[in-house]
Formats: sequence, C-alpha cells, structure tokens
Amino acid sequence: MLTLPAQTLVSIVTFAVVVHVVLLTVAYLIYVERKVSAYIQDRIGPNRVGFDFGLPFLKPLRGMWGLGQPLADGLKFLLKEDYAPDHVDKGLFTLAPIAIIVPALIGFAIIPWGGTWVIEHDISLLGLVTFEAGPVVVAGLHVDAGIIYLLGVASLGVYGVTLGGWASNNKYSFLGGLRCTAQMISYEIPLGLSLLAVLLMVGSLLPTEIIAYQREHGWLIFSQPLAAIIFFLAILAEANRTPFDNAEAEQELVGGYHTEYSSMRFALFFLAEYSHMITSSAFFALLFLGGWSVIPFMNLLPDVAAGPLLPLVKFAIYFGKVLTLVVFMIVIRWTIPRLRFDQVMMMAWQAVIPLSLIIVVLTSVMVYLRLDSLGPMLIANGVLVALLMAVYPLLPKIQTNRKVPLYGSRFSPMAGEVVQTAPTEPAAREDHPMRTAAPA
Amino acid sequence: MTDLASYAPLAIILLMAITFAVANVVLTLLIGPRRRGKIKGMTYESGMNPIGTARKRFNVRFYLIAMVFLVFDVEIIFLYPWAATFPNLDPSSPDALVWLFRILFFLLTTVVAYLYGFRKGVFRFD
Repeated sequence: MLTLPAQTLVSIVTFAVVVHVVLLTVAYLIYVERKVSAYIQDRIGPNRVGFDFGLPFLKPLRGMWGLGQPLADGLKFLLKEDYAPDHVDKGLFTLAPIAIIVPALIGFAIIPWGGTWVIEHDISLLGLVTFEAGPVVVAGLHVDAGIIYLLGVASLGVYGVTLGGWASNNKYSFLGGLRCTAQMISYEIPLGLSLLAVLLMVGSLLPTEIIAYQREHGWLIFSQPLAAIIFFLAILAEANRTPFDNAEAEQELVGGYHTEYSSMRFALFFLAEYSHMITSSAFFALLFLGGWSVIPFMNLLPDVAAGPLLPLVKFAIYFGKVLTLVVFMIVIRWTIPRLRFDQVMMMAWQAVIPLSLIIVVLTSVMVYLRLDSLGPMLIANGVLVALLMAVYPLLPKIQTNRKVPLYGSRFSPMAGEVVQTAPTEPAAREDHPMRTAAPA
Repeated sequence: MTDLASYAPLAIILLMAITFAVANVVLTLLIGPRRRGKIKGMTYESGMNPIGTARKRFNVRFYLIAMVFLVFDVEIIFLYPWAATFPNLDPSSPDALVWLFRILFFLLTTVVAYLYGFRKGVFRFD
C-alpha cells in the first residue's frame, strides 16, 4: 500500500488535461492566425472545410466558417511523405523536432491554472495507492524552484532550432538556425532581468506566491510597466514572432531552419512555435496580469477553493487572458513589418539589456527603501523614462548601416540641381497614354 | 512541499511529452508514402543546382554573442536566490544594506564587462 500526497495525482491529471487543451488551442490558433491575417488584408480566409468529410448525409456540417481546417491540416500532415534529403545528418535531423516540441510541451506545467484547491477526503486507487487529503495547487507541477524551472525549460527550446539548422546541411537552414539561436539567447537576458524585477517585489519563486502578492498589491503591470514592456518584447523574440522573425524571413531565407522539413516533422516545429506562444503568454499573465484574478485591485474570487467548480472558473479566466495575449501577438504579426537582423541584435544589446539592468537596480533600491507600492513605483518608472529621454540625445549616434545619400539622385540632389520627379512628356502625363499614337 | 518528492510528476510529464513527439514522427513514417529520387534528395537552393556544402566557416560575431551571453546568463542565475530572499529581510537591520551593496557591486562587475565588450565592438552589427 503506497501513500502519496494528493498533489501528485492532481498534477498528473491537470497536466494531462491541459496538454490536450493546449494542443487543441494550437490547432485552432493556426486557423485564427489565417482568419485574422485574412481580415487584416481584406480577404475572407479559410471558409470551405467543414465537418462533412465529403459524405452526402452530413451536408448540414459543410462549410462551418472553415472550422474543419485544423482537422484536415492535421490529417494531411500525418499522411504526407516524411522525406529526409540525402545530404542531411539523419540522427540529428530526426532529433531536432523532438528536441523542440518536448520543452514546448512541458514548459506550462508550472503555471497554476486553477489556484489552490482543498481535497477533503483521501483518494484510493484500486486499493493500491492512497492519495492523502490536503491543499493542492491545480498545476502540472508544484515545485519550489518554480519560475526557474519555467525559465530553464523555455531556454531548452534553442537546441531544436540549432540542431534543425545544422542537421539540414542547407545554407538557408544553417543561416536561419544561426540567426535564430543568436536572437533567442540575446533576448533571454532581458527576459531574465525583467523577471528579476518582479521577483524582487514578490520575494518568492513560487507561482502561487506571485499571484497572492498581486491579489494583495494590485497587478504588477501597473507598478512595473517598463519591465512588462521589456518582458513582452523578449517573449515575442523568444517565440520568433514578428517583428523578430528573422529565422524564417521568407524573402531572404525561404523557411529558415525548417526549410528541408516536411510532413509531421515540419508540423512539430509549427506546434512548438504556437505552444511556445501560449506558454510565454501564460508566463506574462502570471507575472504581470495577476494569473486567475478577474479585475485588478479587487479580489472577486477566494484564494482557496473547496469545490471542484472554482478551479475550472479560474482556469477559464486564466486561459481567456492567455488567448487575448496570443491574439494580440497575432495582430502584431500582421501589422508591424519585420526588423532587420542587425537592428534586432543592436536593440537587444545596446538598448533593452542596459535598460533592464537599470530597472533591476532601481527596483532593488526601491525594495530596500520599502517604497515598492504602486504609487512610488509608478513615479520611479516615469522618472526613469524622463531621464532616458533627456540622456538619449547626448549618447553617441551609431553611424553604421545608415542610409547613405546618393548624390545626384532625386532624394538628395546636388547643389543647384533641378530634380524632375514627374514626367514632362505630354503623352506620359495623360491618364491613358497608350490611346494616343506613339511618337514617331 | 519542499522535498524532492514534489518533482515526481515531472517524470510522468516528460514521458507524456516525449511519447507524443516520438509517436507523431513514427506514425507519419509508417503511414506516409516513400519515394526516393536522385533529384528529390538534392539540397534545396531555390531550384538551382546546389553549390558546395553548408558546412562552412561563418561569421565570428556569433561566437562573440555566445560568449557574452554566457557571462550575462550566469550572472542572472546568481541573482535569482538573492531576489527571492532580499525582500524578506528586515530593512532596518544592517544585513539588508550589506546585501544590497554586495549585489550592486556584483552588478557593477557586469557593467564593467559590458562596457569592455562595447568598446571592443562586440555589440556592433555592421
């Protein structure tokens, strides 16, 4: 007869449920991404595939706004040929998608979706194992390393990218993998530093403690707005989303590190990208948006739940926040153009990392002076922004990669030169120049 | 829950994730068709005949980034235990001030490393 704490059972059940919810959400996020991009570009997007499977008696299920598209895509991925070209490193080529999907799937285990839940009676499984009653956290994993686990697992994702780029033995893949690796490890530093600003205020590494602190003192996005912005930038760069998607810049690198992949191995890269978005959005919601709390500065839901209903409600609220953030990321992708690689890297090393270091020092001093409530922190953030704007013109300008004026061109004419920007021929100035006879 | 037993679910979580990944790869290998060809197995280079190999020397800047990343990342890892304990100290005790200045000195070494790298042109991408 084995006796275990109830946390073990709740952890495994929660993870098994959440991983399915996340995979289903990922499938539909691809649909949402296509639909959002279609509406932004004034198109309709997928609207044909329903659930009729081509059968006449299921005709009412035809169409359905294209909701069957993820199912059809998934089947196609399974049924297509999984081709590995002759020149690839076969072992690493197969390992890369596995190495990228596993960290993406276990990362969100630490997220406390449902808060704390009290189990009143011992649970016995087939008379073999007994789970002791007690308070449990509705999360896939409840460990005292907490946030460090999430950070460590998130940075494991870079291995899949590097391996995929290297094993393909393709120049596009190789360059894409290199760029992606450099970008991901660069933005890990501001990610860790802005996270540090939050931990300094909370004083604990446990996700439940972070939510409890925000229930007491208000959401941290209000007292740490700069850290929140930096954190959001960093998770965009970590998930390789536009404006930081240099790894798969179609115009220059075809598909980046997954150029040579096909079928399910390609789909795993895709799944990993989207579940990475969900994980990092959940991370953001945990740190800055108060986890499952409904409204800032008000405690509508009790901290500890007795019945099974409240954890579900908390999960719904939390997941709603996550989905809002993910849709926000999607809208960003279809609104903002991609940054150039050197711009991305210079932004990381010359702007974001020094700024996040300053925020850490500022927060630690404020915490030491016990001025870490909402008002003083807001004033400190405002003063920091004002100082930066005052200092910025005094800093040396970067002269590399600037647009060089081409003398004699229409944009930078020589002294005394008359620039003609419109045609002067009468035939060319007409609305329909082809209707008139061509000059002899 | 501060003992190592709380990490036990991690084993099952890992097992589930690895099973999902491997099952997908194996399933598509079993179900999907298999047709090989000489042209089909060539490196994709936008439809041109591939020139040389991709295993070439690449820009030294990527090595520099990896090294600077190591410096910063190790520093940040040292900061986490401090960040988890420092706010819980009594601010009136002399310990808190000592802790604050120790970590500020620690960050100062990072800033020196950063400035050195900056002057050496590590963070220039031109």
